[in-house]
Amino acid sequence: MTEERNWHTHRDAKNARLASASSLLNGKFAKTEDVVKVLNTLIKPGDKVVLEGDNQKQASFLSEALTKVDPDQVHDLHMIMSSISRPEHLDIFDLGIASKMDFSFAGPQSTRVSQMIADGTMTVGDIHTYLELFGRLFIDLIPNVVLVAADKVDREGNLYTGFNTEETPTIVEAAAFHDGIVIVQANEVVDKLPRVDIPADWVDVVIPADKPYQLEPLFTRDPQAITELQILMGMMAIKGIYAKHKVQTLNHGVGFNTSAIELLLPTYGEQLGLKGKICRNWELNPTPTLIPAIESGWVESIHSFGGEVGMEKYIAARPDIFFVGKDGTMRSNRALGQVAGQYALDMFVGSTLQIDQWGNSSTVTNGRLSGFGGAPNMGSNPTGRRHSTPAWQSLKPDDDPLAKGQKLVVQMVETFGANKKPVFVDHLDAEEVRKEAKLANVPIMIYSEDTTHIVTEEGIAYLYKTDSMEERKAAIEAIAGVTPVGLRSDPKEVKKLREAGIVALPEDLGVRREDAKRSLLAAQTMDDLVEWSHGLYNPPAKFRSWS
Amino acid sequence: MEKLHFEYQNSEPVEKFAHVGAVASGDLEILVYPADGEKTTLDITTGSDGFGKVWQNVLDRFFARYPLNGKFIVHDFGATPGVVNLRLTQAMEVLKDEK
Amino acid sequence: MRSLWLMPGQGGQKARMLAEVDPELKAQVETWTGVKLLDTEEGYQDSQQIQLSILLLQVEQIDQLQQLGWQPDLVAGHSLGVFGAAYAAKVIGKEDVFKLVALRAKLMQDSCPAGYGMGVIVGLSRPAVKKLVEQVHADDNPVYLSNQNAEMQNTISGKITAIQSVLELAKENGAAKAKLLKVPNPSHSPLMAAAAKKLQEFLQTLTLQAPECIYLTNFNGHATRKLQDVAYDLGNNLIHPVYWETMMQVALEYEPTVSCEFSPGTAFTRLLKAKMDQLQTVTLETMSIDDADFLFNKWEKK
Repeated sequence: MTEERNWHTHRDAKNARLASASSLLNGKFAKTEDVVKVLNTLIKPGDKVVLEGDNQKQASFLSEALTKVDPDQVHDLHMIMSSISRPEHLDIFDLGIASKMDFSFAGPQSTRVSQMIADGTMTVGDIHTYLELFGRLFIDLIPNVVLVAADKVDREGNLYTGFNTEETPTIVEAAAFHDGIVIVQANEVVDKLPRVDIPADWVDVVIPADKPYQLEPLFTRDPQAITELQILMGMMAIKGIYAKHKVQTLNHGVGFNTSAIELLLPTYGEQLGLKGKICRNWELNPTPTLIPAIESGWVESIHSFGGEVGMEKYIAARPDIFFVGKDGTMRSNRALGQVAGQYALDMFVGSTLQIDQWGNSSTVTNGRLSGFGGAPNMGSNPTGRRHSTPAWQSLKPDDDPLAKGQKLVVQMVETFGANKKPVFVDHLDAEEVRKEAKLANVPIMIYSEDTTHIVTEEGIAYLYKTDSMEERKAAIEAIAGVTPVGLRSDPKEVKKLREAGIVALPEDLGVRREDAKRSLLAAQTMDDLVEWSHGLYNPPAKFRSWS
Repeated sequence: MEKLHFEYQNSEPVEKFAHVGAVASGDLEILVYPADGEKTTLDITTGSDGFGKVWQNVLDRFFARYPLNGKFIVHDFGATPGVVNLRLTQAMEVLKDEK
Repeated sequence: MRSLWLMPGQGGQKARMLAEVDPELKAQVETWTGVKLLDTEEGYQDSQQIQLSILLLQVEQIDQLQQLGWQPDLVAGHSLGVFGAAYAAKVIGKEDVFKLVALRAKLMQDSCPAGYGMGVIVGLSRPAVKKLVEQVHADDNPVYLSNQNAEMQNTISGKITAIQSVLELAKENGAAKAKLLKVPNPSHSPLMAAAAKKLQEFLQTLTLQAPECIYLTNFNGHATRKLQDVAYDLGNNLIHPVYWETMMQVALEYEPTVSCEFSPGTAFTRLLKAKMDQLQTVTLETMSIDDADFLFNKWEKK
């Protein structure tokens, strides 16, 4: 006979912890000034802790408090964060409070992340795609404690996360249903919420924050900064990819190249008679540069990963397009957005800092372990998928009876970056970074095998049409300008590739470079965007010229 | 400030004047005239020193694709090779359109 | 407001730059170090004159700002600038810092056999320069990759003959600029080991305090609050590259809102502004302390 096993040790532990904090709690509520004491009491050494911090919204009140806990009591935490964004996210490692990290993106803190891995201050579990990280919260990275941010909370502890719901429900769910402790910072305590985004039943502790959580307007691009080169690339992409493949469902990465395309749809796209035929359904953060296309009737629907500062009123007035609650505020959801982005789209269009001779791309460069945002999920071809859309089908090879289609994954880059550094390189810096940081995998953002098209100012390489790696390399060389990779291009080979439709220069697509003017953009300034929105869009201060 | 001079042997004569580009930071302007003699000549004034090799590469690649025989005057204000190529190919378009 | 204070090193010195320095402080420095500060063109041919005079300028500006109640959140010094940075972070006292720099300059002068120096290469990445250095370096013809001033601007240090070979290779490989610098030492390379050792011995006789703000180290570009890291940097930065580019990237990750560059020069502010255009900047080379105080007050309220 074996002894009867206790099957609820997690629940017992959670109850014991909450009991030990009872003197600090009034129901679920703790006082703002007690935040450090609450964390000191509820977090134990070695805990897996999710600290909410994505590329826009930050649980900044809780992350600042976490740096003030006593390292003798709270240490060796295993942090799980989709984004390392704030200095204190790393200070907790310097202070000995945390020792291990599983994450996706570290762009704003990438130098210190590299240094901390190199000197052993931080051990890295893995650098994940968002979906891997969210998925593992329910598999082998089940959190003991989660620290999240809400806009409003009512007296019972129901949460309103509104516009910036993002990944809060996913994180909370992983803890709430596996006896983890859910600690919430709230901007405001109210009697009645506009709507309930997360029920009180899932929440253990609420702490009113001293100031609202940090929020970055990450997806706002000023049309003023769009160049003629980006306009030319946008024209080529619209004609040579969007129209050619009849792309209806898509995501745009963050950047000026895709902003240019958004602003060309109502002008250049209209001239080509493409309205209603392409770009109808989007998975996209509510980028202001899409306003003219929405107002011109191009867009049927947009689902968003997160919000965007300044777009609140505009979205509230366009519920046919966006996902909006009865209260008039958008609901975003990063996990579902990434699922849609990986599985439900015809096309992903993004940009990068480096592309190697084989077509792999990465934004990880020497000394900066930035990780990645949504690109690795959206920029990969889910091989189990089966789809009948014209775009998906158009990439099906015709010589195989069992063949299936493919997602379009497009990289748009200028051959040289702003500092005159070549974007096309023989080897990615990421290869070296893997060695320095002793990572299991080279931090590649989008793999060559998933990349179907590359667009540069020289032309388009239709990589999905190539039959061999040699041909793929030659197609990349043909559009890589005077980078070390491009200089290897043989003019005779380029001619053959153009004839085979594997490479297209602007003249092959019927795109006149002379037409690539800023006057072709539907909006040329932030003021134009405000005007298109009928005054509903309210740009953040740093983008306003008049204040 | 640096002055660069290049010469090429090209087959397609330029018959008109063309002007493309802009005098602005990160951009350049190109003036194209019919060639003075048999050779294609380029006289480049650039604000970014030390990019002679890059200019050579951009021009080699451009003329391999579009062998225009003319006289080119270039004023560069720190354009990237991509922008240089855009302006050169725009000049090519303007010259071909007018034929 | 979160402020980053920048202390440049040698290079920006010019005659009469000490004209408005408090004569009492200047006299004190001369007494402590036994060096008469000439503040003339000819004077600045001498490394001790240069190093002490720049430090004097910086120390006076630091004192003035700190008396007005301003403290840095982050300090970064380039080469000689580490001493001003350590003083601003209250790691080292005033008399000690001048004595330390007087010794450093003297050791550098004494340790310099003819035919050694530094070169700068613009337009090639650091890994690309490293490859060229490795091609040329030999035990009897030593050259090392030294300071990382910006992503595409690195220096090399060593024997002039070896430096010249690397500069030639750099030009062949597409460097926009590759030239010898007017520096009589192979600074920031292992060739300075003997000088660093003596400096380290003197440092051990001084009483140092842990920094009161974040200090960015030259020798590995890290942010630190530990005394041992700062002390190591003061004693040994001569034998390591200055990882300025990394220091600035790390500094920016702490999200400073204001930078203040101490005299002489304004070059670091320009580099920084190119990386982060939202940063508010002050350059004491071109602004009075009163102006800086006014601006800090204005930004503090925001």
